[in-house]
Amino acid sequence: MKMFRKLFEREEVHSADVARERLKLMLSQDRLQRQQPDFLPRLQKELVEVIRRYTQSSQDEIQISCHALPQRSQIEVNVSWPRNT
Amino acid sequence: MAKVVVITSGKGGVGKTTSCASIGTALAMQGFRTVLIDFDVGLRNLDLVMGCERRVVYDLINVLSGEAKLSQALIKDKRLDGLYMLPASQTRDKDALTLEGVEEIINELKEDFDYIVCDSPAGIERGALLAMYFAEEAVIVTNPEVSSVRDSDRIIGLLDSKTRMAEQGQAVPSRLLITRYNPERVEQAEMMSVQDIEEILAIPLVGVVPESEAVLKASNQGIPVVHDQESDAGQAYSDMTARFLGEEREMRFTEIEKKGFFSRMFGGRR
Repeated sequence: MKMFRKLFEREEVHSADVARERLKLMLSQDRLQRQQPDFLPRLQKELVEVIRRYTQSSQDEIQISCHALPQRSQIEVNVSWPRNT
Repeated sequence: MAKVVVITSGKGGVGKTTSCASIGTALAMQGFRTVLIDFDVGLRNLDLVMGCERRVVYDLINVLSGEAKLSQALIKDKRLDGLYMLPASQTRDKDALTLEGVEEIINELKEDFDYIVCDSPAGIERGALLAMYFAEEAVIVTNPEVSSVRDSDRIIGLLDSKTRMAEQGQAVPSRLLITRYNPERVEQAEMMSVQDIEEILAIPLVGVVPESEAVLKASNQGIPVVHDQESDAGQAYSDMTARFLGEEREMRFTEIEKKGFFSRMFGGRR
């Protein structure tokens, strides 16, 4: 019966398409990561520590992102915190 | 003007050494004085694929450490004039493999050869980085398989950053060689197509070598498969080398072969 079904059932998702999509996703992450300097995770951690010492921001109120410009690299730090009312 | 070419891939077992042997041989067939350097210290194989393993006396490490002269270590191919190889060492002493040492060897070879073809080891360790460092052109060998494509992308990134040309602000011209391609499986959507891989890696295609029985047969015998001009793989390497040299040739072996009556009856050579 199993053999019979195998004969007639076409696989619905083609594995080559799956491979292509997985690769595209993976490589866009890989490439992004590769552009980042090795010190970025440490810098991020220290920046967050310093900022939180002053602002009491929560973890997700501090956003640090790294951009590769043609000639230079740039980090962007966005911090927000609750105003004392 | 001598040119340094690296054959690289990141992943192991995709056909770097097979490709290196056939590209080098095809260049020599075209009349270029060519030398192949095996950078896979500890795991040398190019000598086996070239069929000269019994004539290895000195190797790359011996030359780098001053135990032998370059001319003593070079092995002349027994089939073609103007084709030589410099074998890797079987010992694991990689410390002798230095940038300065390799540069000296390459400069010396440049005086005598048209093409210096470097067979990179797998991985992204020192051997692989040294094999690519002086490259002026690169051939990225990729199989139509996810891990191979991903590793190739990583290697392309390294060529863009960890080579002398990159340090001088230039890009190493890199071209894609797809090996072990199986048009039947592509047709069944079980394998990524040439177009898929080209699009993902975004470097120009220089050749497609089909999965072929001739490749194993050739390496069994120690004769680079490009010598077997009746085989599809042998012809694919000839085409690829011609394209590498700037000739325009249509891609072959990327579509399912329409078999004629006789080959269907008696089974053509594949």
